[in-house]
Amino acid sequence: MWKYEKKLEYPINIKNKDLKMAKALLEQYGGPNGEFAASLRYLNQRYTMPDEKGYALLNDIGTEELAHVEMIATMVVQLMKGASVEELMASGLTAQYVGHDHAIFPTDANGVPFTSAYFATTGDWNADLTEDMAAEQKARAVYEHLMDMTNDPDLLAPLSFLRQREVVHFERFKELRDYYLKKFNQKNV
Amino acid sequence: MNNYPNYNYTNMYNKSNMPSNKMYDNMNNDIYAKAYEQNIPAVEKNQNLYDPYNAFIRGNLFKNLYDPYKLKVPYDIKPMNEQAELLTYIDALGFSMVDLNLYLDIYPNDRNAINLFNQYRKEKESLMNEYEDKYGPITLNSDSLNSYPWAWDDMPWPWDN
Repeated sequence: MWKYEKKLEYPINIKNKDLKMAKALLEQYGGPNGEFAASLRYLNQRYTMPDEKGYALLNDIGTEELAHVEMIATMVVQLMKGASVEELMASGLTAQYVGHDHAIFPTDANGVPFTSAYFATTGDWNADLTEDMAAEQKARAVYEHLMDMTNDPDLLAPLSFLRQREVVHFERFKELRDYYLKKFNQKNV
Repeated sequence: MNNYPNYNYTNMYNKSNMPSNKMYDNMNNDIYAKAYEQNIPAVEKNQNLYDPYNAFIRGNLFKNLYDPYKLKVPYDIKPMNEQAELLTYIDALGFSMVDLNLYLDIYPNDRNAINLFNQYRKEKESLMNEYEDKYGPITLNSDSLNSYPWAWDDMPWPWDN
């Protein structure tokens, strides 16, 4: 089970409305490389890891990703705060507004709804961990794109935090996969 | 915010009397495993870690993994008031626990990391008690919930600013 801590993993206090960044950030909420996909990917894959190290790592990274879902949602909500219908329409958020008003909904930056097809669960530790490593690299790349799109330190600080978490998670998945390759004496294919 | 007023994490870690433990996961060419093989003293290994605050602002406890991308220096946390400052200490300790947790999942025989995790856990617990007494509950285990009316609802919620 899970228990909630009534705080963010990293503080977010965005002062300036920025609807274009809100729209772009939806990519990391409900997009293919986003935090929902990451969390659900690892939490689904954990059941068929070969041993306790895989159980623990996928459980714990999947749990941390839930905190990242909350951070991205918080950024989008704060960036859209007080926006008028005209402002939303002028920023490419017409479709967002008509279905969801100022609520957020897990889509990618183009409004394509989240789908569990964004992640695999093959029951094969090598396939799953290789996917997880790629997922972390893709998310790192998206965070770099997002950091390239803004000069607002209120956004850059949490984005750089989240980007670095992808780097660390990649490394841990890689270490786990290397360990299994050795343990099960598989060639590094 | 560059220095914690009451906590010198680096010294606390150095001073803790780390046993020379030969048990480790001899699994890959990871730098920590190498440190064990070469029997490098705990003090030197500790230089591979940031203190909790500097780990927190980088999103990374392990110096060898830090990649700043385009940031020349990491952003400092700028707490608006005493409450936010206390929460920053809690965040930093909690974050360092998360990063040690993921590391220990792969290297469960690293006694130094286990000791450090437990040190941060105790420090966080103490600061959490102080915070919740003053400002209200962060978790549903808090003594501050023994109050009327029900305090869990109280603002602020994390996504509000």
